[in-house]
Amino acid sequence: MAEEFNTESMLDMFLYESGQLLEKLEGIILEKQDADCFDDADINEIFRVMHTIKGSSGVLMYENITKVTHKLEDVFYYLRESHPDDVPHMELVEKVLAVSDFVTGELDKLKNGDTPDGDEKQLVEDLDEFLGRLKGEITKQGIQMPQANKHVEPTQFYITPVAGDDSHFYRISIHYRSDTQMSNLRAYSATYALKEVAEDLLYTPDDILSNEASADVIVAEGFHMLLQTKSSKEDVIALIDSSEAEEINFDELSKEEYGRALGEFGREEVEPAAAAPVAAKDENNGNNKEAKKEGPKPGDYVVKTKEAGKGKTLAKNQPKQQSIISVNVEKMDALMDLIGELVIAEAVVLQNPDLKVPGLELSNFQKASGQLSKITTELQEVIMSMRMMPLTNTFQKMRRIVFDVSRKLGKDIELEVVGENTEVDKNIIEHITDPLMHLVRNSVDHGIEEDPADRTAVGKPSKGKITLEAKNEGGKVYISVKDDGKGLNKEKLYQKALDKGLIENKPINEFTDKEIFRFITLPGFSTKEEVTEYSGRGVGMDVVVKNIQSISGRLDISSVEFEGSEMTLVIPLTLAIINGIVVQVGNSPFVIETASIKEFVRVGEDSLISEPSGEEYIVLRGECYPFIRLNERYDLPDSNDKIEEGIIVVLEHEGSQVCVLIDKLLQEQEIVVKPIPSYVRKVKGLSGCTQLGDGSIALILDIAGLLMHDGERR
Amino acid sequence: MKILLAEDDFASRKFMDKQLSRYGECDVMVDGEEAVDAFMMALEDGEPYDLACLDVMMPVMDGYQVLKAIRDIEAQKGIPKSKRVKVIMTTALNDERNVKMAFELGCEAYAGKPIDVEKFEKVLTKLGLI
Repeated sequence: MAEEFNTESMLDMFLYESGQLLEKLEGIILEKQDADCFDDADINEIFRVMHTIKGSSGVLMYENITKVTHKLEDVFYYLRESHPDDVPHMELVEKVLAVSDFVTGELDKLKNGDTPDGDEKQLVEDLDEFLGRLKGEITKQGIQMPQANKHVEPTQFYITPVAGDDSHFYRISIHYRSDTQMSNLRAYSATYALKEVAEDLLYTPDDILSNEASADVIVAEGFHMLLQTKSSKEDVIALIDSSEAEEINFDELSKEEYGRALGEFGREEVEPAAAAPVAAKDENNGNNKEAKKEGPKPGDYVVKTKEAGKGKTLAKNQPKQQSIISVNVEKMDALMDLIGELVIAEAVVLQNPDLKVPGLELSNFQKASGQLSKITTELQEVIMSMRMMPLTNTFQKMRRIVFDVSRKLGKDIELEVVGENTEVDKNIIEHITDPLMHLVRNSVDHGIEEDPADRTAVGKPSKGKITLEAKNEGGKVYISVKDDGKGLNKEKLYQKALDKGLIENKPINEFTDKEIFRFITLPGFSTKEEVTEYSGRGVGMDVVVKNIQSISGRLDISSVEFEGSEMTLVIPLTLAIINGIVVQVGNSPFVIETASIKEFVRVGEDSLISEPSGEEYIVLRGECYPFIRLNERYDLPDSNDKIEEGIIVVLEHEGSQVCVLIDKLLQEQEIVVKPIPSYVRKVKGLSGCTQLGDGSIALILDIAGLLMHDGERR
Repeated sequence: MKILLAEDDFASRKFMDKQLSRYGECDVMVDGEEAVDAFMMALEDGEPYDLACLDVMMPVMDGYQVLKAIRDIEAQKGIPKSKRVKVIMTTALNDERNVKMAFELGCEAYAGKPIDVEKFEKVLTKLGLI
């Protein structure tokens, strides 16, 4: 793995490697938590992990991390050398987790740019005490005490550069008016002024003083600077002389972007030779691996003797070959947005009104546009696949939660994980981690019975079981948390919801099972009388549902009393681009997601049932569906009111159906979902908008919202 | 103690010179070749340097080359490991690969720029220089 990320800075590398090692460590620990002791392989592995972290933290001089890992390494050293029996396994597990938490905490501080200043004393004392007992045990068991673990103090050190949060990074581009005289001198005075505050300053063109021709370059291409400084944006702007400047672009960069931009600036002068190795690569694919591993060599960084006034350039600019690069997520997001725009632009071209002129010979155009559509679709697929990540890490976190919570509550629970390699969009991972954590906690806390006797009484093994499963099906990801606990009691849920006034007063048999289960997602609902540390504040489930809905997913709940419950998150694989059908009501186009459409039908007036209260229903093949007239709901003029002349669309969401009356169908199209701008009041039943081929804006119908709205009105 | 400072950038040079002068006599070089020459000269005069601070991006020879040259000369002259000059690389090149390479070439410490003066001092203590 190291190779793939080896352009990272030393500190990033340390954080990355240690993070990976700790994750591995937790994996081992949680897997073996229930065993009686660690086996040799585990002990070796844990020893190695501690040794590595100790070593690298020593080189980077994070002394508290070094001390703690050093102590734990000692513990495992004795375990490895002496194999004492009767090691208090649970205590050992706790010690390892404590160390792992401590180090993780310190790493987090480093990631945030803080100093790792955690106090290690207590932890070291605890470990010392444990080690003392362990040694006593070893002596008691008559095993020869191994020689003390020899520690080699690091002899080489890495001093991390100071780059506190207060350093800002800017990219400044100045474009002078085309008639500016001596723009190179103006540029120089800008750099001179900035040198006052700069911690680092790079600019291009870099021969502004020695080469008068650079003035033309500056006028033509602008003068670009990269600046690292502690001063604020305003102060920096004040320093730059803006007379004669037509435009000054001022971008604040993140540290990473700055690092990359530095590379771009430094590489300005790469000779065309850079292209050669690429061609060569095809010829000797076999040797490629070696070439890839080739690191920097002494002599790569010789600076060309400076010509007067010229910036530094490396004499030797060797192109770097790499098969894997790490990319900033922001760039990926930007690319994603651009592809979205491209899809819209494509629609604008292909459905351009100009093409509708009668009698146009378009067969070549059609061929070309077919090709274009194919490529844009592939482009979308590629970017989506680039953003895919396995759920492994997320599930790993859940293991830890099950372990922590079940121990705290004194429940014996086994966690089974299925399909952790399922890949989903990175965006989705970010959004589901918290909800999933909540569901898992709920299962441990509320799902599994407190008393194992309650379990055996209904014929279940005394050990509880939670299954975490992920799978990919039909463009959707299903992630389910299943427990074999007591299940949900429908009467209890109903009574509680009624008592809290969360539902309207009607008999329990008028609710479907699904509806009753969904009560637990109502704000302010919690079936647990006592609130525990982990769950039961009653703010949980509704937040879970909200989070999931924000990525257009849903939560399915099913449960059988005494047998267990299953909570399933169903999330669409892609977020930004959906397949939709464009329909028209009056003069307004609407988009309906293809997946939620059950059918289109034409019915006569006789299928319509009107209640005196104004509600309307459509009867289709003996089934009765609620009916919504979009034109009435959104006050759309010029639309038809007669249902024989329109088209009925049957929509489905989470098992409920609704019929909608539209005027006509326009086309099926890939739709790039854009949020409705914040200056428009939030309208129920609409989830976003998009731009159509002719440039007009279409609103995207949100079926869940329509149903909810309909329910409330009733 | 005798210190060799190789740094081609004026601002850094001035800063480092000021810092290092607190600990001893500091000779300042502006490119890699000069640094090796100075090291050689000091060695021949029987007054070798105790500490060398090398920038990486320098004219003629880069810091890594200087480091390698120094270690080669020392090996050739049969100078024991404990008597070798302590070398601290000072550079903004903080890629893990570069740092690892410098360690392999035999530097004692690698200081990323901008330099953390406090830690720098700590390292000098650990190296037994102050």
